[in-house]
Amino acid sequence: MNDIDDLDTKIKKLTPKKNESATKPNSALGIAMRLSSELVAAVFVATFIGYYLDKWLETGPFLMIFFFFLGTVTGILNVVRTSKMINKD
Amino acid sequence: MATNPMNQFEVYSIGPKIQIGSFDVSFTNASLFMVLTVSIIAIFFVAATQRKSLIPGKLQLLAEMIYEFVSKMISDTAGKDARPYFPFILSLFLFVLVSNMIGMIPYSFTVTSHIIVTFALALFVFVGVTIIGFAKHGLSYFKLFVPSGVPAVLLPLIVVIEIISYLSRPISLSVRLFANMMAGHTMLKVFGGFVVSLGILGGWLPLGFSIALTGLEILVAFLQAYVFAILTCIYLNDALHLHH
Repeated sequence: MNDIDDLDTKIKKLTPKKNESATKPNSALGIAMRLSSELVAAVFVATFIGYYLDKWLETGPFLMIFFFFLGTVTGILNVVRTSKMINKD
Repeated sequence: MATNPMNQFEVYSIGPKIQIGSFDVSFTNASLFMVLTVSIIAIFFVAATQRKSLIPGKLQLLAEMIYEFVSKMISDTAGKDARPYFPFILSLFLFVLVSNMIGMIPYSFTVTSHIIVTFALALFVFVGVTIIGFAKHGLSYFKLFVPSGVPAVLLPLIVVIEIISYLSRPISLSVRLFANMMAGHTMLKVFGGFVVSLGILGGWLPLGFSIALTGLEILVAFLQAYVFAILTCIYLNDALHLHH
């Protein structure tokens, strides 16, 4: 009986450890790539939107410039959000 | 011998030329490697689940590990409601992983090093997640773009920013995978070229770099597949549970 109890405590000791380390290959490289692409993509998309709005409304380069800065803001916001999420994990 | 490091990314058609309307839909080397990827996954799972025993063999163990890895990833990031989408995320993860890994074999072709392939995958995820969001929440899904507790003066600006942020998801998803794979493979080829051009005297240093880079690239290949799948889960989570 004693042996079984011993085994039980041993198993209980080991189980949470196994669960923690089962998945999470969160390497620095992965995080770096995630953040940088997040920043660039928003600027790219916003400038693209601005360019086509300019073409449609014939407002010269102004909307594109405006949306470029808006995209930069969005990119920084995305980076802040992503890093918050990574920190929470 | 191909000295141009970009030669490896060339798409050319093999077999007869097929034309539908103005589209050239010939079977290319990219198509060949996609078929290869899918067949490897299918054959692997059929073989692994051939003899289902309580004490798993090597193949069955590997299949179970993959299954549990993805299953845990989904329940950790997207919760219980995302269970119905498990087959899709598993297929997506395996497709990206296996095509990245096939790309690591010399003289092969990396499907995921083309932006159109990764963008198609990302767009599929994006459209799917948006449809799921609207189906689940109806018009209140638009609340995703209106964060709570924002002053009314700033609201128009914030809504535009949120929409840009939402639209940038497929771009960042696809560009990340594509850029990683393309940069890695170009770098490998460049260092390989250095080994040849420096010859037996100076070629040892780039050869060492090449070996180190190959290891790094295998890590990146796995990591990018993982990141692609986990971001899909995160987007799915956003669509299933509105909490902005």
